Amino acid sequence: MVRRQQRVCSSRLLLQWVGVVLCVSLASPGWAVPSFARQTGMACAACHTVFPELTPFGREFKLNGYVLDNIKQVTGIDTSGAQTLALNSLPPISLMAQISYTHTSTALPDPNITGALAKDGDLLFPQQVSLFYAGKIADELGAFIQLTYSGVSDSFGFDNTDIRYAHHLSFGGVSGNDHSMILGVTLNNNPTVQDVWNTTPAWGFPYSGSAVAPTAITSTKIDSGAGGFGQNVGGLGVYAWLDDHFYAEVTLYTSSIRGGNHPLDSSDKIVTQGAAPYWRVAYEQRWDRNSLEVGAYGISAHTHPGNGTALAGPVDKYTDVAADAQYQFIGEEHLFTALATYIHESQTLDASVIDKFAANTDNNLKTFKLTGEYYYHRKIGGSIAYFSTSGSSDALLYTPGQVTGSANGNPDTNGYILEVNYLPWLNTKLQAQYTGYSKFNGQKTNYDGSGRNASNNNTMYLLVWINF
Amino acid sequence: MKSHYAIAIAMSTSLWFGGLAHGADAAADAMTDAQKAALHKTVETCATCHGVNGRSVSPTFPNLAAQQAPYIELQLKAFKDQSRADPDAQAYMWGMASQLSDATISALAGYFAAQPAPPARGGNSALIAQGKRFFEEGVPARQIPPCASCHGAHAEGMAVFPRLAGQHAPYLLKQLLVIQSVLRTAPVMHGVIKDLTKDQMQAVVAYLESI
Repeated sequence: MVRRQQRVCSSRLLLQWVGVVLCVSLASPGWAVPSFARQTGMACAACHTVFPELTPFGREFKLNGYVLDNIKQVTGIDTSGAQTLALNSLPPISLMAQISYTHTSTALPDPNITGALAKDGDLLFPQQVSLFYAGKIADELGAFIQLTYSGVSDSFGFDNTDIRYAHHLSFGGVSGNDHSMILGVTLNNNPTVQDVWNTTPAWGFPYSGSAVAPTAITSTKIDSGAGGFGQNVGGLGVYAWLDDHFYAEVTLYTSSIRGGNHPLDSSDKIVTQGAAPYWRVAYEQRWDRNSLEVGAYGISAHTHPGNGTALAGPVDKYTDVAADAQYQFIGEEHLFTALATYIHESQTLDASVIDKFAANTDNNLKTFKLTGEYYYHRKIGGSIAYFSTSGSSDALLYTPGQVTGSANGNPDTNGYILEVNYLPWLNTKLQAQYTGYSKFNGQKTNYDGSGRNASNNNTMYLLVWINF
Repeated sequence: MKSHYAIAIAMSTSLWFGGLAHGADAAADAMTDAQKAALHKTVETCATCHGVNGRSVSPTFPNLAAQQAPYIELQLKAFKDQSRADPDAQAYMWGMASQLSDATISALAGYFAAQPAPPARGGNSALIAQGKRFFEEGVPARQIPPCASCHGAHAEGMAVFPRLAGQHAPYLLKQLLVIQSVLRTAPVMHGVIKDLTKDQMQAVVAYLESI
């Protein structure tokens, strides 16, 4: 099972030439997979700057449906010569393992004994182990399927999945080949998992993080934090990628809650009414060793709060609109990436107000993330990021509570992340990551009503991340 | 003298490999519509890195447009049998070439050879002038023959000696360095450039990108 983590960061600026640091909510990571390397015969560096971030070629590989293969196939044809099967003779299977250590600035309270503290520092051995099938299923059909064992919940479950069909077209001009387009279909279980830029939440920075440190009380629906749909939905969408420049997509999502009652009923939480459309547009320009992308995305959802109330009557409405930009420089020695996204969410909480889950009918929530990354020879480097979530105060949505609550009913959380990585081999990452908060769940000091300060949640996270 | 020595090498190796050029033309002429469609699909894959019509954007990936067909064939076969083993060859091309048949290799070589040459790119005019001198005269003090004696007066190439004109300067520089350090196995070129300095390399690649 995937446990979603959120990060809360302080707003203190860092005097770094790369920029300010921003924390990001994080779902279960693990996008880069040796499955693709086995299928394509290409080293990690072809598709990734440093895993899991994608190069332009990596983006093309994903947009083409994960089907590029350079290994022997098991094939079949029918009597008209059309291909009926094209299966990799070697299944594109791979694994990843993460072993981590988390230390928060101040130990967390022991929830079982008032006044006592839990152990100061947490070793997760493992934090997570995932099995991937990632690659071609048939001609023009491929998948990224992840199954994850969580060391926190000691359980095994379905994780990020994107199954896609991609068809290539050439058209236009005298030769009929002046323009090239990929038309594709995606079936996936996490809004933006299908995206190819590292600005959108499912694939955004930080790519790894603590599974046990405290996380912010909420996030937008499209984000990967506590308020996000995450993997509680399934969606079917169509996309187009034109001339290696323009991307457009519409995907319709609806609730799909693993482990919930089926059909979903009042015992589940935040169940969509009808379909929730997700949309995405982007423009990318490449020149020499550079690429620059600018885009926008969003989701619009009507939901029943559930949580003991019937899935009927008035609904809550969430409208997320976001903008993003990504710049990459991929040199022979030096690699540099800058990522930025801003998400604005409008909430109209008719149902939650009636059910007394929320105090206000109209709330908003805004998130901003800015990240700069640098690597030398893909071997050593790191990132500096700034993050900020701010929104309307709502005494019923955001209630006091030890560590995870909000004393003043406000969700504002901001801070920074500093990360250093050493990769002795392309598929092995040794990481030290520090997250600092200046505001957590609404305040700098005594944010939870039980005496905990935002900076008490400052986290040092050490990670060994291997893929094979 | 040095230029005669170079021409002798050029002639002997081109006689040896010259047959490949004719083979590529013949293969292209004999293609059925189905084969042309299959070739088009393969070219689309190459174009992901090497660009539409063989003109790449990033200098990590060389331009293939107007490249000598026998040279392309040789390199694709060298990627396939892994005899060319420089870092980018391993990272990108070993996989990409591993399943290519000889017929596909021949057809790809013919396709890219027929593309219009990539445009020239300007640069530092002093460096370019210096590079032009090295290209046309060699570096006699270091027993380095003129590049033109094998690669052609306009760097257009000849049979297995590749076209260099209009190629990305950083790519050419990288090849000179990996050939010199024998990370890339190219005995003839290694013999020619083993004493070429990096400054001289940078001048000549700046010139080649500009023509």
